[in-house]
Amino acid sequence: MHTATTLAAPKLAIVGVGETEFRRKHERGLDALVVEAARRAIADSGLAPAEIDGIVVPVGMPPADEIAFGAGMVHRGYTAINAYTPGAGPVAALVEAGHAIAAGLASAVLVPYGIRTSNPGGPYAYHAADPLKADLEMPVGYYGQPLYFAMLAQRYRHEFGLEPEQLGALAVAQREWAARTPNSQRAERITLDDYLRAPLVAGLLRNLDCCLISDGAGAYVVTTLERARDLPNPPAVVAGVAAGSNPWTLTEMFTQSPRFLDIGPNEAGRRAFRQAGITHRDVAFAQVYDCFTPSIILQLEGLGFCERGEGAAFVADGRTAPGGALPVNTDGGHLCHAYIPGMTHVLEGVRQIRGTRGAAQVPDAEVGVVSTFAGPDHATLVLRRDHR
Amino acid sequence: MSDPALPFALPPRSVDGLPDFPPRFDTPLLKPYWDAITRGALTLPACSVCGRWQWYPYEFVKCHAEATHAWRDVSTNGTVFTFALAHRGFLPNADPKAPPYVSALIELDDVVGVRLPSLLVNLAGREPAIGMRVRLAPLRRSSYVAPAFEPT
Repeated sequence: MHTATTLAAPKLAIVGVGETEFRRKHERGLDALVVEAARRAIADSGLAPAEIDGIVVPVGMPPADEIAFGAGMVHRGYTAINAYTPGAGPVAALVEAGHAIAAGLASAVLVPYGIRTSNPGGPYAYHAADPLKADLEMPVGYYGQPLYFAMLAQRYRHEFGLEPEQLGALAVAQREWAARTPNSQRAERITLDDYLRAPLVAGLLRNLDCCLISDGAGAYVVTTLERARDLPNPPAVVAGVAAGSNPWTLTEMFTQSPRFLDIGPNEAGRRAFRQAGITHRDVAFAQVYDCFTPSIILQLEGLGFCERGEGAAFVADGRTAPGGALPVNTDGGHLCHAYIPGMTHVLEGVRQIRGTRGAAQVPDAEVGVVSTFAGPDHATLVLRRDHR
Repeated sequence: MSDPALPFALPPRSVDGLPDFPPRFDTPLLKPYWDAITRGALTLPACSVCGRWQWYPYEFVKCHAEATHAWRDVSTNGTVFTFALAHRGFLPNADPKAPPYVSALIELDDVVGVRLPSLLVNLAGREPAIGMRVRLAPLRRSSYVAPAFEPT
């Protein structure tokens, strides 16, 4: 008879974060960028590279052995590739890191992630490699992520209403956050008038609704809370984390999804909130995947901060800006800080919990949410301060 | 023109500003769809066991393991589900100076759970709108015929 063994899962904390300089174009290759971010995250953790004994890399990264070697790791009791689509991966990797630590396979795990969107073909090339998109969508010009999200935005406008000023409120707020954040690619403040004068790209979306083109990398180190308490930085406690997916493919999600406006995180969000034992009123900030402004609205609805259809009004009037009731993407997000899909949201969440964000620090940042997605996959993380 | 990050050769630049990017046919799966459009018809794959539409079609049938794709002609009339003006030529062979084109998803009459990626053409000054009634208006491209739609 098989007997399941229940491991007492140790509490986890993120203890180190690191990043490269973020730029539109780096001359160095992805491996060099990822290794640099990994070294900085390890140095920030206060652990020696030899004490990092696990690594979880999202799909599409350089080989794990190369990153580990570059980062100075000499023991690798656990090596894994997280297969959730990039964007969701940097958060979802934490689920695997937690399992590895709970099972005693590793004691401190590195999660690195980087991107070079300046590569020829740019960010759209990812979709051009899909045979069904090549045969059904490109021949009619249904191509380019801005167009996909413009289709969602137009449908949202039809069902619930959506005004340019509501999208603009997000773009203006995130510039303000970026202006208060070192290493931001777009740090010049803008007004709503600037937004409304910006060139249209697709449908309702202007260039200021779109994420940046970035080359760069970020990384974090996670270990047990018990060990974190002996390290130099205030621990960012992993109070809840869950990954999930919608029942359709990345290929289909922008055309055939039966729930066209559902981009997650729904169930994963609820699970992470339940694990953490929090309600929405406890949340001091949210870092929410922002490839385009409408994705913020749709995910805030999916996370339950408001009902489906209420998100556009919810984000208007500065609610997400400094001093607002729910600060969102407090580093400027992928729109204004850097587009390292899903990873910069984790780094910013950790820094807010540490309380080290200076002019961008959210007051009383006791509990924060990080939620990211790509294609049908999504993941939600609840971080909180440590209370012994 | 070549682009080392794209896994195929780029077709020549569009000459009329509308998308002109031939299907690659990495697999033969969608040949019946494109062949039908050249004769002004629409045909879609269904499960050979239960008849459920298989759109987009994968190499496997989603609902029945033993099934194959059964192609069936369907209505060429439909409704706009959503749309967007493409203010930039997103395709890698687009003419950057071309005016915006109207991209759309079309739901066909009597075809449940299927949306066709398409273009809206011949608008003659009418604003595109969700719910607009449209009919197939095959659009000749350099080496294929595209499934465009026009208002009825």
